[in-house]
Amino acid sequence: MASDCHVICFGNELHGDDGFGPAVHARLADMRLPDGVRLFRADTSGIAALPLFEGCDRVLLVDAVSGFGAPGSIHTLPPEAIALEGASGHGFGIGGLLRIAAATLPTLPAIRLVVVETSRVTAFMPGLSPEVDAALPAAVDSIMEYFGDELARCA
Amino acid sequence: MTRTATLNIDLNRVEGDLEFAVDLDGNRVVDARCVGTLFRGFEQLLIGRVPTDALVITPRVCGICGTAHLYSAALALERLGSLPVPPHATLIRNLCLMAENVQSDLRQTFLFFVADFLHARYASHPLAAEVDAAFRPFKGKAVIGALQASRKILELVAIFGGQWPHSSYMVPGGVTRGATAREIVDCLDLVEQTTRYFERDVIGDSLDAWRQLDSGDAFFRWLEQPRHADSAIGLFTRFSRSIGLHLTGAGVSNYLSAGAHYDADAWSAPYGEQKTLLAAGVFDGARGVCEPFDPAQINEHVRYSWYRPYTDGRHPFEGETVPDYQPESDRYTWAKAPRYGDRVVETGPFAEMLAGGDRLLISLLAQEGASTWLRQFARLRRTAELLALMKQQIAALSRQLGSPHYHAPPPDALLEGEGYGLVQAARGTLGHWVQVRDGRITRYQIVTPTAWNASPKDSAGRHGHWEQSVIGLELADPDDPVEIGHVVRSHDPCLVCTVHFAGRETRFRYGV
Repeated sequence: MASDCHVICFGNELHGDDGFGPAVHARLADMRLPDGVRLFRADTSGIAALPLFEGCDRVLLVDAVSGFGAPGSIHTLPPEAIALEGASGHGFGIGGLLRIAAATLPTLPAIRLVVVETSRVTAFMPGLSPEVDAALPAAVDSIMEYFGDELARCA
Repeated sequence: MTRTATLNIDLNRVEGDLEFAVDLDGNRVVDARCVGTLFRGFEQLLIGRVPTDALVITPRVCGICGTAHLYSAALALERLGSLPVPPHATLIRNLCLMAENVQSDLRQTFLFFVADFLHARYASHPLAAEVDAAFRPFKGKAVIGALQASRKILELVAIFGGQWPHSSYMVPGGVTRGATAREIVDCLDLVEQTTRYFERDVIGDSLDAWRQLDSGDAFFRWLEQPRHADSAIGLFTRFSRSIGLHLTGAGVSNYLSAGAHYDADAWSAPYGEQKTLLAAGVFDGARGVCEPFDPAQINEHVRYSWYRPYTDGRHPFEGETVPDYQPESDRYTWAKAPRYGDRVVETGPFAEMLAGGDRLLISLLAQEGASTWLRQFARLRRTAELLALMKQQIAALSRQLGSPHYHAPPPDALLEGEGYGLVQAARGTLGHWVQVRDGRITRYQIVTPTAWNASPKDSAGRHGHWEQSVIGLELADPDDPVEIGHVVRSHDPCLVCTVHFAGRETRFRYGV
């Protein structure tokens, strides 16, 4: 039976604020989530994450971005808002992944993104910046709010 | 007049860690330096660990060919301990590696190589509309088909490995679980689905008919039929040749293969020469003959690499990977320079199929010489071979149902000694060499396919294969050297494997 919603967290926690997705995952993993919600860490898996877009009606994708607002600001975006990055042999950007999902999956779930504007992404410098760390509760609230709205809509 | 230009070619579809510096005489490339810009050090971090850690750590070298790294690591440990491996396990390993290579061949061709055909320079080409319909990224028919088929075939790895990439289901003595009848049916279904896609979209013909093409003349006659000309490989061929890709990018004329896919019935301890379904060898393109493969001939130079200097080449059992960044010297890359004896060689699907005796490719090489087109064409030729081999391996696996999939090694099997494992990964010959003392790794050396192809100059000043393949190239526009992109991408380059490092921070913006 299809899950209702997949929450897919992307990012590399070795590289500063790029660890936002895994940090959100850690918080959500400690919480009781509504029935039908499944939580995944996709980290840097790129196109290999495509199966996570199957077997559900909705996808909530969590990631870190640049160019959307003040550092630490949380944004809820449609998939079209993410630019297409250069495709790599080893990793498509999220933009590419979303386009591949749209082009290849027989049924595309409804997709929303909850993203944070990064402050500091430095290779092999683990740890979130103060601004992004402080945004974690707001991100979790935003996700829970989404669940609430969606569950209310289904009720 | 000679002018030096450092061309930061847009190789994002390859990796963010490859640069080419070329010297131009007018618009002609007269010298080249292939630069792997980042260091990772997998070999160093294995030192001091227990040998079986290699089964978990080395598949992380690469997000595309982790199965090949796992297979090499398991083979190296089995050779070290002279551990037998049952046919059941070899068949499963082979099937998973074949699936990984099919996946890579399809993605590399239809997601990365042909994307350059959409370059603005070709906008008014007579085939532009066909190319757009077939090859436009994320939209073209061949692109979408390759994405779907490459995903499907990887499910085979998930059956036995639980996940792909970065799986660790091969262990010294076998695999962690054997096949069931249901899984064999599932595997066959996956291969059949992929074969149907390949026949319908890629070749426009049956796999058997395609594999029977045995000469250049036969192929070009085959290509005249509209159904074949309109297929993905037909369009790829017609367009490639119309822009002269059959005339560029030859590089060296020695082709290395360690032999592809172990013969399950013949491969067991004590391990001697390679016993593989496609023969090992070094194919001499100038003479059209193949000589036996001798792993003792492999050595690596660091004369132009940012490593602690040593003279000449060292066999991996005597090798080291000690970083020593010297930006003010004439050293220019984090890649080492592997050599076969004193020869610069090319490896990859083309080499694998030549050494394996593919008559069509041998004929085309003799007829036209090596080229960008032929190298890329050979990759799809291999895909067909792999799909046929997979069916044979599944049939053989069905005869092994209930037989052992694992022989438990004795407790002291991996305490002392040395071993190596070689496979044909997606991009060519991959080798792991390991030495162990008191149960701990004292040396681990990995020689990757792209290290062979993307190597810098060696101690004797011989250029690496890629460098040779672009020297002499005429660029229509040095500010937009798409010609170099065609040549380099025809090798399916993987600098992540070669220098064992992933990325600049900008690549991590969205976490992928």
